[in-house]
Parts: sequence; C-alpha cells; structure tokens
Amino acid sequence: MTDPAVALEKITKTFPVPFQRRVIVALRDVSLRVSTGEIYGLLGPNGSGKSTTLKIILGLVSPTRGQVQIFGHDAASAQSRANVGFLPESPYFPKYLTAAEMLSFYGKLCGMRRRELAKRVDELLELVGLTAARDRRLGTFSKGMLQRIGLAQAVINEPEMVVLDEPTAGVDPAGTRVIRDLILELKRRGVTILLSSHLLGQVQEICDRIGILANGALVRDGRVDELLIAPDQTELVLEHASPQLVDRISKAAAEGGASVIRAAPRHRSLEQVFLEATTEK
Amino acid sequence: MSGRRPVVSLRRINAIALNTFTELTRLKVFYFLLLFALLLIGSSALMARITFQQELQVLKDVALGAMSIFASLLAILATARLLPQDVEDRTIYTILAKPVERFEYLAGKLGGVLLLLALSVLLMSVVFFVVLFLRQQTLLAETARQMTGLPSAEAADAQANIRHAGVTTTLVLAIVIIYCKAALLASLTLFISTFATTNIFTIVTTVFVYFIGHLQGTAREYWLQNAGSTVGRRLFLGAIALFFPDLQLFNVVDDVAAGAVVPVTLFAKTAGLGVAYTAIYLLFAWAVFYRKEL
Amino acid sequence: MRLGAVVIAVVLFGATKLPLEHQLDAAHRRLGLRAVEFNLDLREQIGQLGFIAALSGFRAIVADMLFIEAHAAWEQTDWARVLLLFREVTTLQPREVLFWDMAAWHMAWNASTAAVNDRSQPRETLRIKAQREYFALGKDFLERGIRNNPDRPQLYEALARLYRDKYRDHERASEWFAKAAAVPGAMSYDRRFAAYELSYCEGREQQAYERLRALYDEGEKERLPTLLKRLKFLEEQLNIPPDQRIPEVVR
Repeated sequence: MTDPAVALEKITKTFPVPFQRRVIVALRDVSLRVSTGEIYGLLGPNGSGKSTTLKIILGLVSPTRGQVQIFGHDAASAQSRANVGFLPESPYFPKYLTAAEMLSFYGKLCGMRRRELAKRVDELLELVGLTAARDRRLGTFSKGMLQRIGLAQAVINEPEMVVLDEPTAGVDPAGTRVIRDLILELKRRGVTILLSSHLLGQVQEICDRIGILANGALVRDGRVDELLIAPDQTELVLEHASPQLVDRISKAAAEGGASVIRAAPRHRSLEQVFLEATTEK
Repeated sequence: MSGRRPVVSLRRINAIALNTFTELTRLKVFYFLLLFALLLIGSSALMARITFQQELQVLKDVALGAMSIFASLLAILATARLLPQDVEDRTIYTILAKPVERFEYLAGKLGGVLLLLALSVLLMSVVFFVVLFLRQQTLLAETARQMTGLPSAEAADAQANIRHAGVTTTLVLAIVIIYCKAALLASLTLFISTFATTNIFTIVTTVFVYFIGHLQGTAREYWLQNAGSTVGRRLFLGAIALFFPDLQLFNVVDDVAAGAVVPVTLFAKTAGLGVAYTAIYLLFAWAVFYRKEL
Repeated sequence: MRLGAVVIAVVLFGATKLPLEHQLDAAHRRLGLRAVEFNLDLREQIGQLGFIAALSGFRAIVADMLFIEAHAAWEQTDWARVLLLFREVTTLQPREVLFWDMAAWHMAWNASTAAVNDRSQPRETLRIKAQREYFALGKDFLERGIRNNPDRPQLYEALARLYRDKYRDHERASEWFAKAAAVPGAMSYDRRFAAYELSYCEGREQQAYERLRALYDEGEKERLPTLLKRLKFLEEQLNIPPDQRIPEVVR
C-alpha cells in the first residue's frame, strides 16, 4: 500500500501565552489526508490555522498532540523533507544572489551534486520562464518573478510534493495566471501539491480537493466538485436568448414543479476582462 | 526508515556557511579594515614623537588591541543578527524546509561567521605586518647610521634587538589566540540568539557576558579558595565561576605584545580552551534550537 | 522545560572546565602573566572609565594611551604628573620592560636634573635633596620592574647605569651589570662593563684585573680601547711583572 502524501491524525497545537497561565489553541483535532498526485487547497480566513498546519507538515513546528506523516515518515525528521518542496508566503530570498546562484544554493542544501545541479538549474529557469534573468540579482526582481523563482526553488530536487503558502499573494493577475499554469504543469508531472490561499476563485479553478479551516478546526473537507454542487439546482447558460424565450422556459419550469431562481445576463469575471485587455496586441 | 543519510552533512553545512559569508560580506563590514589601517598609520605618526625603540612596542600594542576589539565586535554584531534576520525574511523556512538538520543550519551559520572573522583577522594581520615591517626597516637603517663607528658586535646587538621586536612566531600565535577569543564570542552570541527575542537583547547579554568573563578568573579563584564570608556571596561567586568563560586567559596577548616569553604549549592550551568553548556553545545553541517553534 | 535542561548542561560543563581554567590560570601566573591585580587601588589610579576598559581586555591600549599622556606631561616638565602616569602605566602593563625603563629614566635623569637646577628653590641643600629623591624614585621603578621581569636583561642594565652615572657607586654598578650579563639575551658589553666598573673599586683591583685579563684572552673581539686602557691601568696598580703584561697598543 502506498502512503498518502500527507496524513494528519488528530493534530492539536497550543501556544502558551508568556507570563500567563492561558494557552492559545491554534489547531484542534485536525485530521486531514492529501493523496499523491492531487492538488489540495487549504482555505480559511486569516488566523484560522492555515500557516500553522503547513508549518507542522514541514516540521517547522511540532504538534502538541497527534501524528503527522509525510510519505510515511515522521514530519519531525529531516528525512521527511527530502521529498517535499516549500514556498513560504511572500518569501524573501537573499537579494545579493543571482537567480542561478540562488537555485544552486537550495540544490546544495538538498545534497545535489554539481553536475546534475547545473543541468537542473537551467531546466527550472526555462520552466518558470526566467532564463533571460538567469544572472540578474534577485534584488531587481518583481514580485511575480520572485514568486516564480521561489517555485523553482521549491522543486529543485524534484520532490514528490510541494507546499505553497499563498503562492499568488501580491502578484498581479498575469503573474497569477503564470503561476497557476506552473502549478498545473507540476501536477501533470505527477507532483502532489498542497496550497493555502484565500483567493477562492483560484482555488476552485485548480484544486481537486479542498479543506476549510475555521478557528483551528477543519470544518469542510472533500472534492471541489462535490462541495460546490448545490443540491437540487441546475445551471443553464443560454446564448442569443430573447426575453420571450426566457419567459417560456420559466413557465415550463413551473409546470414541471421547478422554479427559476435567477435569470440575468451572464457576467464575465474581471480576470477574464483584464487578461483580454492586457494581452491584446 | 533508511539509514543511508549521514547524520550531519558537511556539504550542506558548507553551502550554508558560504551563503552566510556572502551575506555578511555584502554588508560592507570590511570598511572597518580601513579604520584599522588608519589607526595604525595614525598611531605611528603620533609615535614619531617618542623614541624609535618605543615605537615598535606601541605599534604592536595598538595593533593587537585594535585587532582584539574589532574581531570581538565583529563576532558579536555579525552573529547577533543572523537568526532574527532569517526569521524575518522567512529564508529560514525555505532552508529548513529542505532536508537540512537544524544542527547543520546552526553550524553553517557559525561557519560563515568564523570564515568572515578569519578573513578579517588575516587582512588586519597583513596590514599590521606590513606597517610593522616598514617601520622596522626604517629603524634598522637609522640605527645602522647612528651606530657607525661603534664596535660591530654592539651594532649587531642593537640590530638584533630591533629584529626581535618585529614579526615573530609569538606574534602570529598571539593573533591565533585573538581569533580563538572571537570564535568563542561568536558561538556564545549564536547560543544566546537562539532564545533571545530581540537583537538588542542578544547584543546586550553578550556584552554583559563579555565583561563578567573578564572577571570570572578573579571570582573563580576566590571561590576555589573558599573565600567569601556569607553563603550568598559564595553562591554568587560559584555561579559566576560555573556559568561564565574565563576570557582573561585570552588576554595573554597583552603580555605577548610587551615581549613576555610564552611557551608554545601554553598557547596551544589556551587555543584549545577557545575551541572547546566554541564547540560547546554551538551544542548548547542546538539544544535550544532543535525543537524550537519557528 | 528544555531551557532548564540547557541550564543544567551549562553548569555541568562549567564544573568540567573549572579545573582546566584553574590550571591554565596557574600556568599563566607562574610565567608572571597575570601580575595585574584589579582592585580599588588601581581603579582610583586610572579612573572608572580606564578601569572598565582595562578590565575588558584593553589593558595594553589603556597603558599606551597613558604612556603617551606621560610623554606630553614630560614635554611640559610636569614632573609630579609624569610620576603619577608612569605608576599607572607600569601597574597596567608590568610586563613591558620599556615602561619601567622610561619611568626610571624620567625620574633619575630628567626630573633629578630639573630639580637640581630649579631656580625657584634658593637653598642648594634642598635642591640636592630633591635630586636624591628623584634618584630613589628611578631606582624604585627599576627594582619593581626587575621583580616583574626577572627574565629580561634590560632593567638590570638600566639599574647598573643608574648606580654608575647617578650614585657613582661602582661596586653596585658592577654587580648589576654582572647580573644583566647572566640573563639570556644580554648585550655582549654587559660582561665588559661589569669588569670596568669593578676596576674603579678600591680594594677590588686584583679581581677586576683577572676578569679583564680573561676577557682579553678571549680574542680580538673583546680587545676594545677602554678594555686595553683599564687593563693597562690595573697592570700599573698591581705591579704585574712585565712579561705577563699585554703588549703596548700601537696607534
């Protein structure tokens, strides 16, 4: 039997408040599984425990109670991280390194040899579209470029899973789209992806499964399509429909014992408008 | 779990050390070398008013003293900011999210500082030795001129005296001791920064330990001789003796500059103590850091 | 708690290193390296700031700064201040032979001369008394310096010179030159000077002659004009038979 990529078993995490007898409960009995090969989205408002969950998975924080296994290894061991890449929220990478130097630094931390590393660096710069910026200092990078090089850094050692904390925070829509495509490309290559976000549209678009955290508890967990289905509702999108036609459909619905809840011109998303406008020649 | 992975990887420590070193050098810390050179040249200009023989002496005192101050300051200030900076920039997350042991991370950080200190001490030594050599040559020429007509044996004695006051093995060994003291301070600072909450706390605490460390010897000898009238005083002296390093032992450098003869074995023992302290503080740092919540 | 465990580890390590430090400290003391006592006396002498600086490992530099100050005081012929500053300097850096030497030189040579020529003091006896006091101060610096640095020849030599040039005590001067010559690294002339001084002492002529003759017999290197002159003088004094005398110097 293959181990799941991530298995959280009844995780509770409390932080003591200094000089007081109280504790803050960050996570309460959270159980969660991420299967290999899927994109799992962790949602939740600020302070709901998303970051703590990710840190526990990466072994940066140890749980007060409960078990964490990453591909069958205890999350506290460095071994568990051999197969995991991580991109923290709005990361800062050493300004004084060039893109290529930064990637080889992280490659060396993964124990990669010089030869394979040089090849891998070129490959990744190509993948994230930064080959031209190869020898530029990171200090001159835009937010979107930093996020892309950060993503490249996360997958330097071809991990089986990457953990992305708010991968598109502060990135413009075009950059967001590039990152989204990169995430989908990684999934195509068989990489498991765990990401946290509060951009619901984006999560809905790319995630296979999601979990919703609120006040330290996992309140929803399941496949996106299943969670989004409104029971007993069917959506119908018409093109070139006259008001008379809509009227007739409403009547037919009433005869069949159903009712039309909403009939209005369909709106495009602002993202679609933006992209259309900015990619016009 | 497979046991293939070595417990500690030198390659990873190396990578982190080199990265830390690069980071520190980008902070333009080497400007202090300029200050050091100015100090040496300035002080020898001042010395011109005093006699020749004293000049080499004072030059050595000032150089070794300044090297000790600069190396110690650099060790404390450079190390104190390493961990907080990494946490603030979140680079610590990207590094520790790789298969890097926390010990490797700390050892790498310390390694970077030690590298920086080594280079700084080396550069200061070069400046120092060049100035010393030039002054020595001038003195030799002056003495030769003044002593023409005197018996050759006496001229030779005088020349030998001046040569003896120049660059010697003992002087090099003294610089090694200065480096060991700075390494100890860097490691101590790293240890303190693992549980400190702010940069300032780390620096203030280290400076505090620095001062106490210079008094530790006196406190220890008192304590060992069962001196101290009250129980409270004995406890206080004992705590100082146990908790703090004896930094006065490293000030053997002062006497070396004065020309005291110090056997090589004593140098070796003092250096050994410095290395032991550096290693032990690194282990303490790891003990605090290895399950620290980040 | 983990911090508690670390504190215990620190104490355990402290207990282990304690004997090592104690041993190393003792070794330093045997070599006279920890001769400076940090006490209230010293603090009073060099002031709070200097005391802290000296404590924190900048002893040598503080000593240098005071030394330069002493030099400035000398230029202003402020003898009391020169004395005070040199006491501080030598207390802070007792292993620095030069400081003792300079201190003694300022007292016995410069200050004493200034005192004996002091126009503001009309009574000659008092002027001479002051001069003798400065001699004594110089002698005191050298004697303490020798106690702190028994392994270096320079101060023995300086004391010998003080006896020779200031006290005109040839016997003592000879003694101290001989002591200087016995220390490794001594100047080659110390042996000669010890014998010269002895040649001026009444009643010691025979001994002085033997020493000078032995030096003469060592070879050309020692046959310097003064040595030949003193030897000739003693040959006359002691009525050495002509066949045993050294040949006449041909000039």
